[in-house]
Amino acid sequence: MKQELAYWMALAHLPKLTTKLKNELIVKIFYDKKTIIEFFQFDREILKNKYLLNDNEIELLEESKKQLPNYAFMVEDLLEQGYDIIPINSEDYPTTLKNNLKRTYSPPLIYSKGNKQLFKEKSVAIVGSRDASEISLNFTDKIALEASKNFKVVVSGFAKGVDKQALDSSLKYIGQSIIVLPQGIMTFDSGFKKYHKQIVDGNVIVLSTFFPKAPWSVKLAMARNPIIYGLAEEIYVAESSEKGGTWSGVIDGLRKGRKIYVRKPELNEPNANNILIEKGALPVDSLGKLIEPVLYEEQNEDIRFISEPQKNLSNNIIYDLLIHGEYSSKEIIRKLKLEMDSKKLTKMLKEDQEVKTIDGKPIKFTMKSNEDLSLF
Amino acid sequence: MTRKEAEIKLKSIFGFEKFYDEQWKTIDLLLKGNRVLLIEKTGFGKSLCYQFPAIIFEGLTIIFSPLIALMRDQVRSLNEKGIQSRFINSEQSPEENKTVIQEALAGKIKILYIAPERQENQEWIEATRSMKLSMIVIDEAHTISIWGHDFRPSFRRIINLVELLPKGLPVLATTATATKIVEADVQTQIGNNVTTIRGNLMRENFNLFVIEVRSEDEKLIWLAEKLNKIEGNGIIYTGTRINTEVYSNWLNFMNISCIRYNARLEAAERKEIELGLMNNRWKCVVTTNALGMGIDKPDIRFIIHTQIPASPIHYYQEIGRAGRDGKPANIILFFNSTKDDRNIFEDSKLQLAFIEGSRPSIAEYENVITTLKNELLSQTELYKKTNLNKNKINVIKADLIDQKIIKEVNNQGKKKYQYQHNAPPLNSEIFRKLREKKLKELEDMICYVNTKNSRMDYLCSYLGDTNINGLKNCDNTNYNKRIFKGNKEIETKLEEFRESNFPELIIKENNVGISIGVAASYYGDTNVGKTIHKCKYENGGDFPDYLLELTLKAFRKKYGTQKYDYICYIPPTESGELVKNFVIKLGEALKIPITHKLQKTKHTNPQKVFKNIDLKKDNVRNVFKYEQPSEIDNKSIIIFDDIWDSGATIKEVRKLLINLNAKTITSLVIAKTVGGDI
Repeated sequence: MKQELAYWMALAHLPKLTTKLKNELIVKIFYDKKTIIEFFQFDREILKNKYLLNDNEIELLEESKKQLPNYAFMVEDLLEQGYDIIPINSEDYPTTLKNNLKRTYSPPLIYSKGNKQLFKEKSVAIVGSRDASEISLNFTDKIALEASKNFKVVVSGFAKGVDKQALDSSLKYIGQSIIVLPQGIMTFDSGFKKYHKQIVDGNVIVLSTFFPKAPWSVKLAMARNPIIYGLAEEIYVAESSEKGGTWSGVIDGLRKGRKIYVRKPELNEPNANNILIEKGALPVDSLGKLIEPVLYEEQNEDIRFISEPQKNLSNNIIYDLLIHGEYSSKEIIRKLKLEMDSKKLTKMLKEDQEVKTIDGKPIKFTMKSNEDLSLF
Repeated sequence: MTRKEAEIKLKSIFGFEKFYDEQWKTIDLLLKGNRVLLIEKTGFGKSLCYQFPAIIFEGLTIIFSPLIALMRDQVRSLNEKGIQSRFINSEQSPEENKTVIQEALAGKIKILYIAPERQENQEWIEATRSMKLSMIVIDEAHTISIWGHDFRPSFRRIINLVELLPKGLPVLATTATATKIVEADVQTQIGNNVTTIRGNLMRENFNLFVIEVRSEDEKLIWLAEKLNKIEGNGIIYTGTRINTEVYSNWLNFMNISCIRYNARLEAAERKEIELGLMNNRWKCVVTTNALGMGIDKPDIRFIIHTQIPASPIHYYQEIGRAGRDGKPANIILFFNSTKDDRNIFEDSKLQLAFIEGSRPSIAEYENVITTLKNELLSQTELYKKTNLNKNKINVIKADLIDQKIIKEVNNQGKKKYQYQHNAPPLNSEIFRKLREKKLKELEDMICYVNTKNSRMDYLCSYLGDTNINGLKNCDNTNYNKRIFKGNKEIETKLEEFRESNFPELIIKENNVGISIGVAASYYGDTNVGKTIHKCKYENGGDFPDYLLELTLKAFRKKYGTQKYDYICYIPPTESGELVKNFVIKLGEALKIPITHKLQKTKHTNPQKVFKNIDLKKDNVRNVFKYEQPSEIDNKSIIIFDDIWDSGATIKEVRKLLINLNAKTITSLVIAKTVGGDI
């Protein structure tokens, strides 16, 4: 709904409130079958009692209400210039981003220009340093080639080094790319000129989660990293030092339980890839192939790469599956080629705090977090 | 606020005792945060309907208006009443506009008038982020409808804006001319439960006449004979820019004081003429419809149309400027009722040509689309790449933007045109519909000429007035018909005028137009034009002697007393020896030697191949040389060519001769085109 967009901007760019609080308000509005326009017309009592906002937060909301006409001017300009403004409840909003970042981190509003269909495709992020080595750039090229062969979209951050390589290679192999900006979308003029043809042809979409006029800054570049990780189903790290954007991005990703592939460095390579692998990232070779855990597994042919799930399912691939939908135990076993009894799995999943049980025949499971986000 | 309270305030600030009921109804709705469409005739007091609430509201009221002259007058009068008001438009310098924006940001202004084009300006958009806005007004709102008679693409963005504005922010759209269709369209576009208030559009103080003539000359003769007998000062509307020159030259020739006005004139000159009109400096201003919208002159006593306008709505709008003071005004329409062999009225031909010529071909649209698919381009880049002229590019890009195929984006401080991913295909059906609608409206205009009933009734019912009551104020009801009787003496004068009125060749230097020569005639739809075309493009042989006589007359009248050393001529691209043969005869008659030493250094294409001025300039840039440069030093030279179109060729030669230190340079051509009609 076009008429809602000024309101969405007002909410999304409300200062001082956390993303989580904003998303919770949105969920509540949705639950109550209200529109965001109606929300902005609620009186203080309703905001206080039903939406549980404190006086300070209500004050901020009142202040932003006054700016609605101003946001209307801005929305008009954005739309006129061919930008898409996508609220979190829109069908166009990338599901992968919502699934990965959940309520706590999903930006309530994103801005884009280009083929929105790319948000719906399978996606690979390739990340790494701005001053990456030749080896890392070659690795990036290979991953991009592989992605384009498999019709996966390459997500990258438009910085020098690995980011740039990821984009260039993706375009070279006539693949598709999502460019995640470290700045407001209206400050990317040179890029829109340069990638005009690719955008017209539907091979590139540019995305920003920041205020449209915000200039590049270190802060925004850092804030952009989780968005890159959030937009990708697979994450490949070409090269990371022990600090900086790539490093903190990977650490953040691991903390959130993401599966992250890190290029296994050659001996004496001056980077921190090995440390990331030690911290739980998965090592891959220069072609992106998983380097499997070694030695004793070779002695026992019966042991599959994926063994019986532990009681504690955190970081488990079952989560990765359940995040995408509802499955019965049998379906899970078949899809993930697990070797275990379906009754045992059912019992285990029923006990799992993170997993939601859906009664029926057969009993199905999904992630609890999905429940929140499907409301959007 | 009650009406009583409001009227106390009205008295103290505006000096009026009471609101009209419709005024108060509008104001009351706005004060309560509603959206209103107000259709009232000129002089009703529409502006009070937004000026009053604007002073009640806490923040700023923005008025989008296409009428620069009106802005100026209203802002002055508001400031006199102590209401802080400003305007932003192209008439002010960027610095002045910037100051206004700063004042608006600082909350020092209550009412801000702004031209709708400004919505495309980034500085303005940037500023709107932090202004405290209370109300939005769209003046002349019929211009937001493509079904209106004066659709303006720049208003499209205002409509987009209105759609996005939050609920509860009052919006007022006003117009004096909206048919039922336009009314419905504007209502939909403004949306959000708009209330429409429509008053009656009768203008009792008009005296409406239609004068039937049998030729274009009869119009000139009638005016020369009668204009000074019509009371007061007024406006003559002509259909074309050429005719503003022809009519004003003719009337001046007949000692009737007048001046021509059209959109081609410099802004400063236009302003000067508008000011002169206000002060009755001339009996009349002869103008295209570029003048009128928003001229806030209460005592225009007559408005005469030399050709029928495009529709009854255009006509109502254009005559609407007369007699705002309520005193009688004479409204005259000439109609040449002769028909050609296809049974088409001479008088509708111009409008038909506008209708048929107003839209580029589908191939030209596709050309622009294909070009923009590959690259992000500015307007200049676009028209160099497509070889389409400015007018066409303007029409095409407005249509493509409207159809969401391209967008006008800001890129590195420049406006660029961007093809949109997933753009829909071109919809040409809408063009066909608009064309049919225009043809129908032209027929309706001819019905106005031929009606036997009250003319005012006809116009008002056309505009959707339901309250028609047989108003008697025209030559069908209570006035005598004006009939052309002829005047031999003036006819002779007209012939004399024809042989002495020659178009000047004007070029711009540092944005000032200067005359650098003379043409024997216009090219356009004239006998001279037809003759030249036949000789040049249909192997019609040498230019006939009557052209030589006419050219000599033109030259002698303007430059007869000056001495010249040489005549040089533009070497031809394709018409062979025509120009050379002509210039030899010319030289013999004037007794000035011919020089053949102006030459081209490389092959050029005929200028007419290029459809825009930049490409024409590129085609002739640095292609001329003079074989014996010392010959030019300190000499007076005539540059001759057959046709002056863009003037690019002659300008290029002038540049060369100036560099060779020529003393004076005069350009002479047989015919001058008007707006690239070659």
